[in-house]
Amino acid sequence: MVEAYEPKVVAFCCHYCAYSAADLAGSMRMEYSPNVRIVKLMCTGKVDTLHLLKAFEDGVDAAFVAG
Amino acid sequence: MIVGERKPFEEIKESLRGYKKVLILGCGTCVSVCMAGGEKEVELLATQLRMANKLNNEDAEIKEATIQRQCDREYIEPIMKMIEECDVVLSMACGAGVQMVSDFSELIPVMPGLNTRFIGVADGEGSWSEKCRACGNCVLGEHAGICPITRCPKSILNGPCGGSQLGKCETDPNRDCAWALIYDRLIKQGKLDNIINIAPPKDFRTQDFPATQVNEAYVKAEMEEVHSQ
Repeated sequence: MVEAYEPKVVAFCCHYCAYSAADLAGSMRMEYSPNVRIVKLMCTGKVDTLHLLKAFEDGVDAAFVAG
Repeated sequence: MIVGERKPFEEIKESLRGYKKVLILGCGTCVSVCMAGGEKEVELLATQLRMANKLNNEDAEIKEATIQRQCDREYIEPIMKMIEECDVVLSMACGAGVQMVSDFSELIPVMPGLNTRFIGVADGEGSWSEKCRACGNCVLGEHAGICPITRCPKSILNGPCGGSQLGKCETDPNRDCAWALIYDRLIKQGKLDNIINIAPPKDFRTQDFPATQVNEAYVKAEMEEVHSQ
């Protein structure tokens, strides 16, 4: 049996909005795909090309920045 | 500062082909400020190379290091062990840094990761311009602090020429005429009379190469100290 493709996704989330939204979603018992790994940042202004490249180098299939 | 720009990725990749242990060596002074060869650029390039190698099924270990200056032996010596453990060094310094590291490493090839462009200043975020040609005989004092050698395409010392149009140069409508700038600033400084002085032909022998410079008093003091020991 061929395994279904499960992309690994990393999410760079701002502490004050996107991360709080994810936190709220959690407290409301809402679910999101376990393929998404969240990295909390104090501000998405901190996101640098290097963070994204390192994520890809470490094998993620997609990265998104939410803030 | 010395302004440089990174070579195209494909060119860098090609220059490192076949080497199994690569050290990417950044320089923490001029090229770091002009965002071409500092610690961050080293990290970015290392990541790019690792990913490219993985995609091409090539096996090479990419190491990273950045020293304060590659044009100074005192910063190179402490990393010599790291250099000796590699097959090749990719220097992210200006041409002077590449040569200095190469003089030390000798058996290990040093590849240039940047193209050295010019001596210049930062005009704003992410933009730089050339200000000095290192001609060896500075004339800025007579020209209101604006270098006609560097900033005039003809390097004329008695300007402006007939190609100066409304403050712009005939070679490029976006390029300021250096002599128009000199004229305007001399007026502001109340020294417009300077402009009628005829500058004699410049002695370009001062721009000898490779140029050297020795601080004799310092060398003498060093020698005396060595002899007294």
